Amino acid sequence: MTMPATVIQERVGFGQRDWVSGRTLGLILFAGILMIAMSLASPNFLTQETFFSQSRYVAFYLMVAMSQAVCLAVGDLNLTVGAVGSIATVALGLLMGAEQAGLSPWVAVPLVFLIGPLTGWLHGMIITRLKIDAFIVTLSMMFVYMGLRSGISGGNAYTIPQSFWWLGQGSIGGWLPYMLLIALAVLGLTSHMYRNTVLGRRLLATGSNAEAARLSGIDTNRMVVVAHVLSGCFSVMAAIMWASWGGNAAPETGDNWLIISFAVAIIGGTGLKGSLISPLGIFMGAIIFKLIQHSLVILKINDNYSNTVLGALILLAILVDRAREHFDGGRRGS
Amino acid sequence: MLKLRHISKSFPGVRALDDVSLEFRAGEIHGLIGENGAGKSTAIKIITGIYQPDRGEIVLEGEPVRFADFRDSQRRGIGIVHQELQVIPDASVAENIMIDKLVTRGAGRVDWDVTFRVAREHMARVGLDAPPDRLVRGLSAAQKQLIQIAKALSAKAKLLLLDEPTSSLTEHEARRLFALLRELRDQGTAIGFVSHKLDEVLALCDRISVLRDGKFVGSRENLSARDPAASGSNPIRPAELVSMMLGRECNDDHLGQLSPDWNTEVLRVENVVRLGKVEGVSLVLHRGEILGCYGLVGSGRTELARILIGEDRMDSGRITIRGEPVTIRSVGESLYRHRMGYVSENRKEEGLLLEDPVRTNLAVAVWPRIRRAIARCINADRERAVAADQVNALQIRTPGIEQRVRHLSGGNQQKVSIGKWLAADCDILIIDEPTVGVDVGAKQQIHELIWNLAARQGKSILLISSDLPELVRLVNRLLVFRQRRIVGEVRDIDTKKKSYAEVSREIAPLFE
Repeated sequence: MTMPATVIQERVGFGQRDWVSGRTLGLILFAGILMIAMSLASPNFLTQETFFSQSRYVAFYLMVAMSQAVCLAVGDLNLTVGAVGSIATVALGLLMGAEQAGLSPWVAVPLVFLIGPLTGWLHGMIITRLKIDAFIVTLSMMFVYMGLRSGISGGNAYTIPQSFWWLGQGSIGGWLPYMLLIALAVLGLTSHMYRNTVLGRRLLATGSNAEAARLSGIDTNRMVVVAHVLSGCFSVMAAIMWASWGGNAAPETGDNWLIISFAVAIIGGTGLKGSLISPLGIFMGAIIFKLIQHSLVILKINDNYSNTVLGALILLAILVDRAREHFDGGRRGS
Repeated sequence: MLKLRHISKSFPGVRALDDVSLEFRAGEIHGLIGENGAGKSTAIKIITGIYQPDRGEIVLEGEPVRFADFRDSQRRGIGIVHQELQVIPDASVAENIMIDKLVTRGAGRVDWDVTFRVAREHMARVGLDAPPDRLVRGLSAAQKQLIQIAKALSAKAKLLLLDEPTSSLTEHEARRLFALLRELRDQGTAIGFVSHKLDEVLALCDRISVLRDGKFVGSRENLSARDPAASGSNPIRPAELVSMMLGRECNDDHLGQLSPDWNTEVLRVENVVRLGKVEGVSLVLHRGEILGCYGLVGSGRTELARILIGEDRMDSGRITIRGEPVTIRSVGESLYRHRMGYVSENRKEEGLLLEDPVRTNLAVAVWPRIRRAIARCINADRERAVAADQVNALQIRTPGIEQRVRHLSGGNQQKVSIGKWLAADCDILIIDEPTVGVDVGAKQQIHELIWNLAARQGKSILLISSDLPELVRLVNRLLVFRQRRIVGEVRDIDTKKKSYAEVSREIAPLFE
């Protein structure tokens, strides 16, 4: 068990005294610096319009990253983040598409949403009952889903009826996107869960030391299943938001989610060995991630290089955490 | 063959070996026994060059030597078979034996014919009956052990050390291993056999040396190992070995006299069986009693505890708690329904959330009880109060309830893992080896804590320990576990103020 040696209250989730950890404050500061630098470099960057339109990306990245983070928090990981999203997208297209079933969004969306908890439950059960490593289970299932979506869709995108565009494209008062509202709600609920509820605490205890948690009366198998169910929910939420925003359901949705989910979750301070999660940190991670993408545009770096930047970012975030840990030594608080 | 002369070795804060001299002779099986922490493994690590002694010398065939590292000792004829079977599961039997001496011909190509032939010879020598090209993964523990022995012998080991070799073997397999070791001995190999199982050491070893607290206590010849008929004139008595192993300076003080309520049974265990682990164990625990469970590792004590808390299933038997027959399926049930808690012997691996604060560790079992009625979330004030209460009551030394448990001392960590169950209002506690790895002062405090729980708060405690002085200090009665059964009971320890020596005299015959 190696984890940063400092107690980072809000991130550990067990803490209730500090609302924002030192690490998350650092992220907020970093995001601020990035924004100032970018608005200096490109004068029309910091307009109200860019700010709120870009916030949709932030909301979307938060969902994708939470999908990974809830699994990391119990000490697992989930490689199906994007694949489940892609299956959900195809299902959405099939159920809602004009040439397809043409169901009303009010019927189709809840049905599609079910894919999340169902697949998550399946992964969790395979991991805990058949005792197969989460890595292998989710790796195999990822390919199962990817094959399914290609087979079913034949690679064609479906159109999403305009009656469902409001979720992704709409906003309150013309400036506060619904997507951002949803993200803020998720942020609040998950923070509350990990901080204050028995379930959340038990999820974290499982990630901290599963053996000790089980011997303390926690059904750790159930916690793993719950984590994967939550993960599935976040994946389909991301998929629904993305489809509604783009106005179509493209089967290749989700192909780049896996790397995003790790990058944003890790920048946001999610522990790789379990037990550390900060929804607020992940939200900040999503903002920073978007800002960095934006800065690539400003720096005129070819979009094709974006994965290189992403991979390097993950390593950089981990190294920065290492360094913090090193300089903080065993000292408490931050 | 090999002598250790006045070897001392210290680690920060511990003197692991203190002026220890031992001799391993060709054609003799030398048993090394002692409790956990007696210095056995340090001695082995010095012989195999993993540690360098601070003082003293190693004499190999009459010449003082210094092993630079593990490989160096192997080159000079020291072979070791580890407790954890160190084999490469996905390589063949032959490769495992020959891994460090594969026969090559030209350009570094392995000559498999020769390699297999040589491997086969070594396999025949140890009686390993398996195809040399079989993958090791599918072999039994006993076969893996033979591979290690073959490997050591193929390196021309003149001294073969075995560290707790039978811990993963069945009795039958162990007997076969012993036969092989005797054969090797008769061929002139020096054998060092490290164990804490007295029975097997007595059955096998020609000479038995006892280590205790890093010191050499004594060495005895054991004639009956070669000739069972000689036991009459045998200079060795098992009882003597037990007291040599345990007889540290211990004070015989009892903490006081417990006053259990003999009319109130809180836990009754009848004929509990779990195949290969526990064979027909029965006991009764009363309110306010500390019941000692004495025995060695694997004698069935921890195995029984795991059944009681629902971690393992029993194959047959009956458990009654506070007068009601129960089936316990999970730790959650034993905790929330029967208010029974288990303090694990491996507190770091199984007892504590090391990276989390003291508060979390103390409150983890009460979260559902301190939930706010309507909001369904944990009442943070009550959680802090629960933790602070235990910190005060158990005098846990910590800068605060937010301190990470990792940073506490061993003794205070142990208090936290006991406090968790007290916070959860458990009144039956199963405490497993509570003072392993804690220093003397903390040991005293933990003893007082456990005693007070029973004497003042009427908790019922099943105290599992291999530390006999500890049990004598604390308990009224103790049960002796041996080979998965209860083989005896010592009563009235506190009421008749039995001394440690008296109790160990009573126990010794049970190990004959």
